[in-house]
Amino acid sequence: MASEPGGEIVGRFYPAASSRRIEAQLVAAPGGTLIVTGKDGSVLGEWSAARTDIADRIGSTPRFITFADGSTFETLENDRVDALIAGRRSSVSGFIHDLERFHPRLALVVAAVALLAFGLYRLALPVMVEIAVLVTPPALPQLMSAAALESLDRTVFSPSDLPVPRRAAIEKVFGELAQHGKRGVGGYTLRFRDGGAIGPNAFALPDGTLVLTDQLVALAGEKLDPVAGVLAHEIGHVDHEHSLRQLYRLAGVTGLILLVGGDIGAGAEDLLIQGTALLALSHSRANEAEADRYSVRLMARAGRNPAAIAEFFEILRDRYSDRSELDFLSTHPATPARIREIRRLAEELAIAGE
Amino acid sequence: MDRPLGIAEARRRILREPFIFTGTGREYFGIWIVNILLTVATLGIYSAWAKVRRKRYFHGNTWLAGSTFGYHARPVAILIGRIIVLAILVAYNLLAQSLPIVSGIVAVAFLFLVPWMVMRGIRFNARVTSYRNVRFDFTGGYWGAFLAFVLGGLLAWSTLGILAPVASQWMWRYMLGNLTYGGRTIECDPRLEKLYRQWLLPFAVVVFGLVGLAGLGVALAALIQTGSLDPGALWGDDAPVFLVALLLYAGLVPFFLLFSLAGLLYRAGTRNVALDETVIDNRHLMESNIHRGRYAWIAVSNLVATIATIGLARPWAAVRMARYLASCTALHVTGSLDDYLNELAATGTAVGSEFMDLEGFDLGF
Repeated sequence: MASEPGGEIVGRFYPAASSRRIEAQLVAAPGGTLIVTGKDGSVLGEWSAARTDIADRIGSTPRFITFADGSTFETLENDRVDALIAGRRSSVSGFIHDLERFHPRLALVVAAVALLAFGLYRLALPVMVEIAVLVTPPALPQLMSAAALESLDRTVFSPSDLPVPRRAAIEKVFGELAQHGKRGVGGYTLRFRDGGAIGPNAFALPDGTLVLTDQLVALAGEKLDPVAGVLAHEIGHVDHEHSLRQLYRLAGVTGLILLVGGDIGAGAEDLLIQGTALLALSHSRANEAEADRYSVRLMARAGRNPAAIAEFFEILRDRYSDRSELDFLSTHPATPARIREIRRLAEELAIAGE
Repeated sequence: MDRPLGIAEARRRILREPFIFTGTGREYFGIWIVNILLTVATLGIYSAWAKVRRKRYFHGNTWLAGSTFGYHARPVAILIGRIIVLAILVAYNLLAQSLPIVSGIVAVAFLFLVPWMVMRGIRFNARVTSYRNVRFDFTGGYWGAFLAFVLGGLLAWSTLGILAPVASQWMWRYMLGNLTYGGRTIECDPRLEKLYRQWLLPFAVVVFGLVGLAGLGVALAALIQTGSLDPGALWGDDAPVFLVALLLYAGLVPFFLLFSLAGLLYRAGTRNVALDETVIDNRHLMESNIHRGRYAWIAVSNLVATIATIGLARPWAAVRMARYLASCTALHVTGSLDDYLNELAATGTAVGSEFMDLEGFDLGF
């Protein structure tokens, strides 16, 4: 085997569109032609190098050189092929191959991947989520909210049995709170429902619809402030657009995982997507804390007891600590830490206000 | 035609040619990590180029009778396919979320779209794959895919897996039986009784596993009921939250593992059956002799190693699996592999192929 540049490259030749394999060699002749000759020296073909497709180098796999008529030359002598095309084409693919080569430098690539993935998740993703929230037409959250409420109405909810005076009192407080919310009085609607299997619960839909179940109102007994605290908390979710943000964040991460899916294997891909769901859960905890703080401030602005939401959580805790009805607790854990945090904030606010 | 055979001709009458995979974890590591780096850095755009490099590495290291396979997809075609498929998935999810009345119709429409995408996907993959300068092609139609993937899937699920071998038979017949190489047909007709023989072990694993899990669940419930196990004492105030998480994960993870294990055993067994009954151009016979336990072991230990190294062992794992599968596969070549001619065909768009890629259809070649 000659090793000087310009010498022949040993490989196999397949005639146009044929699987017939012929041991052969390729030489680059002056004038930009490539000549393939058989073992016996017979010329198998001559082609213009400019119209020849030379595949990018991938590891040490055989290189395919495809001529204009569909005949192919295949060789393991990748370095010689690189020498042949040196300077003749863009160096992007050569650069990628150099980067891929097993070398201590790869440790830097690994570090760069970790850094980029972290930066993407912590910095770029939140920015993209904000942009997506900004460009979302208001019709979309409206449609989604209407759909969610409709399917809940059909499956678990039934019309509220709340006595009219109680309902009117809650609606009055709600109106006062809405005045101090970001969207103003018309920005939120309150709906009463019998929670059925869902039990005591309250939630906010992205279009500003708040749903309150009779069971939750009943938990507060005759008191109004705990219910108001919950409503302020839900208004916090609406004003921070938590559900839309959560949706976009999940979609963004899942999309990227899908795109690297082929590289990481189906099993690891499934695990990553599950992991994303867990991360979303932790995010929802952060959202809850944010809505708690919002509730404290909103209640204060409306001239009501800022710690009312803590009062509600205490009712919840006393009521359910020795029972196994966990549905509400699992998404809205009434932990002592959470109650402490609310009380602390409420006190701070009271001191600042005096 | 009864002329006597020459000695040379008789000698090369049937030759067992094993598949050999020559890739190494060391070499693939570089390709893999650069793929991921550039994919993340370009917010996914590079993933199309990454896919081509990955496929070319694995095809190019798979040897049969002294030649390797080629992968010729254009990254731009794959990128366009990915964009279209992502748009379809987003639109589908948005519609399902916002218009529940329409979403039923959309789900049904999607169900009818899937076979088309699967068909196009297999065809695209076949047409961009070559061996010895000759391309594969795929001639399967829409209704074949509908039968194999939609009805077959429904049949397998609705009978709790009891009719899964029937679905497997449809699927392999469709996928392999409609492939062509250089215009010559490939036949694949796995017999039902053979598929059922491979179905017994995974089915038993699921049945006994479920019985075991149920027993475990009852025991745990009894412990909590009698007070021997007090969640409140173990985790304090957060006990309810922990208990929910525990029930969710302690309950779901064993189910997931059980069904995954059964799936691995079943997939290996049916691949053996299907390839053993595959004939190329009426003369070359495929052979597959995966050991089911060993296959499951490699798959499971690969996943564990990948997780334990936060992904860094993935190249080694992928190469290990490719090497094992190749070592269990062979072609009994009758006569020569020299006389195939390429039937030039347009490769078509990559939309279906990308659907299968992103939705994780594992066709297991």
